[in-house]
Amino acid sequence: MTATTDAELTYTSDEMMSIAAARALSNGQRCFVGIGLPSTAANVARRTHAPDLVLVYESGTLGSKPDRLPASIGDGILAETADAVISVPEVFNYWLQPGRIDVGFLGAAQLDKFGNINTTVIGDDYANPKVRLPGAGGAPEIAASCHEVYVVVRQSRRSFVDRVDFVTSVGHGSGKGDRERLGLRGAGPTLVITDLGILRPDPDTSELMLSQLHPGVEVEQVREATGWDLKVSPELSRTDAPTEAELSTLRALKEASK
Amino acid sequence: MRTDKTATADEVVAELADGMTIGIGGWGSRRKPMALVRAILRSPVRDLTVVSYGGPDVGLLVAAGKVRRVVFGFVTLDTIPYDPWFGRARQEGSIEVTEYDEGMFAAALSAAAQRLPFLPTRAGLGSDVLRVNPRLRTVRSPYADGEELVAVPAQRLDVAFVHLNRADPHGNAQYLGPDPYFDDLFCLAATRRFVSVEKVVDTATLTEEGPVQSLLLNRSTVDAVVESPHGAHFTTAVPDYGRDERFQRHYAECAKDPGRWPEFADRFLAGDEKAYQHEVTRFTEESR
Repeated sequence: MTATTDAELTYTSDEMMSIAAARALSNGQRCFVGIGLPSTAANVARRTHAPDLVLVYESGTLGSKPDRLPASIGDGILAETADAVISVPEVFNYWLQPGRIDVGFLGAAQLDKFGNINTTVIGDDYANPKVRLPGAGGAPEIAASCHEVYVVVRQSRRSFVDRVDFVTSVGHGSGKGDRERLGLRGAGPTLVITDLGILRPDPDTSELMLSQLHPGVEVEQVREATGWDLKVSPELSRTDAPTEAELSTLRALKEASK
Repeated sequence: MRTDKTATADEVVAELADGMTIGIGGWGSRRKPMALVRAILRSPVRDLTVVSYGGPDVGLLVAAGKVRRVVFGFVTLDTIPYDPWFGRARQEGSIEVTEYDEGMFAAALSAAAQRLPFLPTRAGLGSDVLRVNPRLRTVRSPYADGEELVAVPAQRLDVAFVHLNRADPHGNAQYLGPDPYFDDLFCLAATRRFVSVEKVVDTATLTEEGPVQSLLLNRSTVDAVVESPHGAHFTTAVPDYGRDERFQRHYAECAKDPGRWPEFADRFLAGDEKAYQHEVTRFTEESR
């Protein structure tokens, strides 16, 4: 990872990504958290600007307050620190499908320009793929029914493709209006946070475009790491560098989780 | 109704026939009825359709050539993302699959539990899950909303196998950990229902260890109870025990390497459950 120096602080592009993702979450929101990058970011948010963020993990833990990062959704620390623990069927039937979650926070193996997510197969032949990925898990429900979806993923030509090989979880389908046509109630992916910047859907077409650059990153660099002709928002802005408090929170969390 | 339903693992597995559809409870590498799975490995049965929130149960059955089709939302070992045996079988195309996501999978079991032909869900609309599974259809709401939904077909089971912490001899069964998983749905969806437990106790003792709500299964939905201490090994059965991570790593390493698998199978899977537990104890002592 490239190291960036801003004033006195040195941080990696992965740290910038986690902190940018944490900032996207608002205090008091109910956030459905995937393990890995989303979980890191959500736990940083809860320790910084969003102490009342309600973390919901798929194993049925509502309002978990772990003091370290959980190793998997089955990690006991999630249940031990939760407001309530419900069964997994209840998570799907009564929390996801009816739209009781504000933000679904997902990772992705492969993502396309309309924010569709593939976690099923790499290669265009389902019966004979190049690689089989672990599968959908609960992501399709999250993508369908949360009010909004934030995706946090490292940006590269391999992961950011024109069309995903397999639509596991629907983003904006083939463009604007598709979600409404399909009857999917949530707004779909409204933010994609990467190690280079932040992408948001174009309000006219729903195609993801670059709306924010992390410090030290140039537009050309992001375009090179994108498998489609990436458009740049006319209101392109710069991400603020991580503060000392954000960085020390993130690092302490990582240290406690070793 | 039989009042004493206690049986051995081999007795319940003897009820299986080739080509049956079996559901396996638990979730990933958690509270899996592994002693019952090991009994299936020892039996002659084959061509099974296995319906599971998959973990090492699926991997072991695939390794033993027992499986024709897997119906799944994922197959994972939790701390190891992907079961190596299942991964290889899928890559080679040696098994058939019905791939759902977790919510559709739950809808399929719920529909079967309610003896409905299908249940509607929004998940999957617009996804390629519908493209690669032409059996999946949509349905339109007959009411003013006119909403189109995925009609997930009921997944009936010939047999369900689940593992809980305690049961009485009549089949009232209790979980003492934080999560019921889908074990009640598996039993409600099945024709024959077999539960293994860490310990068989008398009925009054059940409510001494946990509230009545922890009785996930009752005698009306259970056909046999198999006492099987450490029967979920190497998956979790908290609070009785957690996952045996060292053993799971050993399983995954051997499963990845076809050269090492026969050694694992010979040592742990060739004998009966007592022999398995004995070898596991030795394996644990070796690390001390």
